[in-house]
Amino acid sequence: MAEIKRRDEAPKPEKEPKKTETSASGVSRREFLVGSGAGVAGLVIGGVIGNQVIGKPAAPAVEAPAEAPAAGEESPYKAGYNLVFDPVQCTGCMECAVACSEKYATLLHPEETANIVSLEFARIRPMRFQYVDVVNFCSYCQLYEWAEGSSEFPCAAVCPEAAIATIPEGEGEAGYYGMGYKWVDREKCLGIDKCWRCAEICEDQFASGMSFDPIDRKAQVCSRCGGDPECVKACPEPGALTWIPAARNGRYFANRPSDYAELLFRKIYAHVREL
Amino acid sequence: MADLFGMTGKIARVDLTKETVTVIEPEEEIYRKFLGGSAMGAYFLFKEGIFDPNLDPLGPDNLLQFMVGPVTGAGPNARITLVTKSAYNIFCASTCGGHFGSEMKYAGWDGIQVVGKASKPVYLAVMDDTIEIRDASHVWGKGVEEAELILKSEVLAELESREGMLRDADLNPTWAAMRPPKRTGMHEKRLAQVMAIGPGGENQVWYSCVVSEGARASGRWGAGAVMGSKNLKAVVVRGTKGHRLADKKTFLALVSGIQKSERGDSFWRAYGTAGIGANSAYVEDAFPIRNWQWCSWADPHVKAITGPFMDQTSFVRKTSCYGCNLHCMYPVEITSTDPLMNNVMSDMPDWEAMGMVGGNLGYMEMEGTDPGQPFTGSTRDQAEHLAKLQYTTFIHDNNSLDFIEGGNNLALVMELVQRGFIDKNDLDGIDMQWGDVHAVDEMVKKIVARDGIGDKMAQGTYETARYFAELKGKPEILNYAMTAHHYGQPAHDVRSPKDKNAMEYVTVNRACAHTGGGTAGFKTGDWAAAIAGQNVNAAQNSLVHCQFAAGHWAGSRIDLIKAATGWSDFSDEDLQLVGAREYALSRLFEVHIRQLKDPKAEWDRQVPPRWFNDPLPTGPEKGAVAYEGKPDVLFNEALPAYWKERGWTEDKGIPTLDTLKKLGIDDVAADVAKQHL
Repeated sequence: MAEIKRRDEAPKPEKEPKKTETSASGVSRREFLVGSGAGVAGLVIGGVIGNQVIGKPAAPAVEAPAEAPAAGEESPYKAGYNLVFDPVQCTGCMECAVACSEKYATLLHPEETANIVSLEFARIRPMRFQYVDVVNFCSYCQLYEWAEGSSEFPCAAVCPEAAIATIPEGEGEAGYYGMGYKWVDREKCLGIDKCWRCAEICEDQFASGMSFDPIDRKAQVCSRCGGDPECVKACPEPGALTWIPAARNGRYFANRPSDYAELLFRKIYAHVREL
Repeated sequence: MADLFGMTGKIARVDLTKETVTVIEPEEEIYRKFLGGSAMGAYFLFKEGIFDPNLDPLGPDNLLQFMVGPVTGAGPNARITLVTKSAYNIFCASTCGGHFGSEMKYAGWDGIQVVGKASKPVYLAVMDDTIEIRDASHVWGKGVEEAELILKSEVLAELESREGMLRDADLNPTWAAMRPPKRTGMHEKRLAQVMAIGPGGENQVWYSCVVSEGARASGRWGAGAVMGSKNLKAVVVRGTKGHRLADKKTFLALVSGIQKSERGDSFWRAYGTAGIGANSAYVEDAFPIRNWQWCSWADPHVKAITGPFMDQTSFVRKTSCYGCNLHCMYPVEITSTDPLMNNVMSDMPDWEAMGMVGGNLGYMEMEGTDPGQPFTGSTRDQAEHLAKLQYTTFIHDNNSLDFIEGGNNLALVMELVQRGFIDKNDLDGIDMQWGDVHAVDEMVKKIVARDGIGDKMAQGTYETARYFAELKGKPEILNYAMTAHHYGQPAHDVRSPKDKNAMEYVTVNRACAHTGGGTAGFKTGDWAAAIAGQNVNAAQNSLVHCQFAAGHWAGSRIDLIKAATGWSDFSDEDLQLVGAREYALSRLFEVHIRQLKDPKAEWDRQVPPRWFNDPLPTGPEKGAVAYEGKPDVLFNEALPAYWKERGWTEDKGIPTLDTLKKLGIDDVAADVAKQHL
């Protein structure tokens, strides 16, 4: 097995002149990609490869984080990580969804939501199937070039407007999006009234990771808060929601919610229950 | 109307006979007086004339209300109160946890009220402002677990239910050749919440409940029977509108503070109410065993009813209600050598279940022994005893039956068999011996189906006792019905001075509720303190918030209401008044619907004779009887003093016109009160 190396040191905006010190791990992003991706076919790292392959212009013109931590310093923003939930530890308390929803409602619709708490802005939604809870969020699935003709995210691959972009390190908005994770360009997105290809392909073949905000009716997808997910910080149950170095294609985490619940009934209760 | 925060200002009124939905918009003043939940429900029972003694609780005119309060929604838990006239002809205000309450607020409703009767089985599909009455024939007859899982998929937000638009051309050719899109559209999210009845409710078993999430229930006083009488299988709600708050920032900060406090609460976070078992039996001597003949085992080695043992044996995971960090419910999978029970999914059981359908049915002793003898079994035997208890919990939950009343009902019959009053020939051949889970299983099936003797027992403990008393010509059979005000006693006895006080069950406004509060005041005779405790608990059921988490809420409760509603002058005094209003209304309701001429004799004194007749036979409080064995002191001195403190008449306990005026409810209640003063 190829060694999977983490990228959790300071983001270095690419536009900036490169500093002389190497990062703590001594691994640049390119080396990291080669090391992890090339050795084992099918073993890829979540957002980072996606960014390389898609090659679309990074969508929103947002300034780089004003004060990037000094090189070598531990950054809260991690690239190449993935979000994983443990269905035995999760209790379905909804605090992840509230934290997520509040964060993005305040970012995108501050006036409309000044007096409203609504979970519809959340990119993470627990769903209760009585005795099991499925926490539903984008798993960062990727297609395989040799089988499916592309290495893109499926939602991005079917988007007619190239609105689902991967925001590279140094771009985006620190704590919201960037570091190689997805973001929906809300200017480009046609909105649910014209197009729902991203959500449909997700539900058709993978999971149910896309949603639409109720105000602009534009697509929403988990941006991993640019490498430091709010939901993980909000989760009260140790181990229920973890932010860990990605070791495989996200599509193998993904299931449609009712399928997932069926699997959990098998796993947790040795019980076959059709949903 | 005024710009409301916290509440939505809208209550849906669904008429199943006319198949119409109308919207009620109460004035802000009404919300300030009653908040929501149980007190608001009580108000509507008066406003809508449900106090009419001729109104059949199981007829189309009864009003079934699903009510939440101003902090339900984004608050730190989501309880809902179901308010109606019970099949027992008593006041029903029964709360339930889970996620349903929040979702209903998010859909934009402070309440959903149902009247009339559908011509065929239906369910309500609530999607924000849209309420549809939909056919439920495909889930009629199914248990609550299966029905809920089916119905959950049938109510989707508009954004989640688009038709297929993908074409092969949207995919690259390689991908399309490998796995073309099915073009089935979007429908995979499962965000609706469900409250449903099982076959027990459909067949109008008087003590049937309404269940959410498989094991959470508006358990007591039979709201499920009322729902079944309306041919209403379930209410399914999905809301996208959110909770509107006057001061969102403060509200969320308070919620967060409560949640953080809960995270340090190792009692609830360890075993939930299962943690109380050993304490109740071996310290308080107040645990129901064999129809309350014992309240503790002679041998404290009986441990299958304790949290640690249940956890070691069966707890699989833990589940929370919306926004709560106590996660007091533990789903389990039963493991047993008995195929009847093996592999059945159930929950915990919680405190009441472990008493009422555990100890009370004689599950915890080895065959041929009784609770007064040493325990001779092994750990493996105790695991099997626990399995029986968990299985009996499951059959009550899945059929939507209240296991408190159900446990009293089954235990009554078992004791009557034990004492030789009846035998299996009186029970359609079922031999109801202590500890026989197969006999219990058969009997519950008969009750649910209302088949044979099950049809008699479907009317609850008191009516079962009355039936056998008449059948056998032995009125003493009524002495074994453990009911107060005709409803079964929950798993807290009043003979031991360490648990509930008898006055608590006598005065609580919902028949024999264990959640009425005021215990300390009743024990010391401090009526003002007792009343304050009752009022707070009633207000909790109006907010609606959880009593388990009450300690974590208490300091923030008023601030939460203020932040939610913007009522900057709302105070503890206002909260007390909410409870006092509910108590006055529910008292008048009980007196009026039964047309009681002498309430004390006809109603208040209907308590289990065992309280005073049978001293506790074992345990740390051996020899104790209720109220020091002085029922006359209780009913002739304490009760009138309590009534007086409430501003009710000392002879009948009727709220005076002056009291009603002070409480600001004379407009709805004075005419009824005048008939009884």
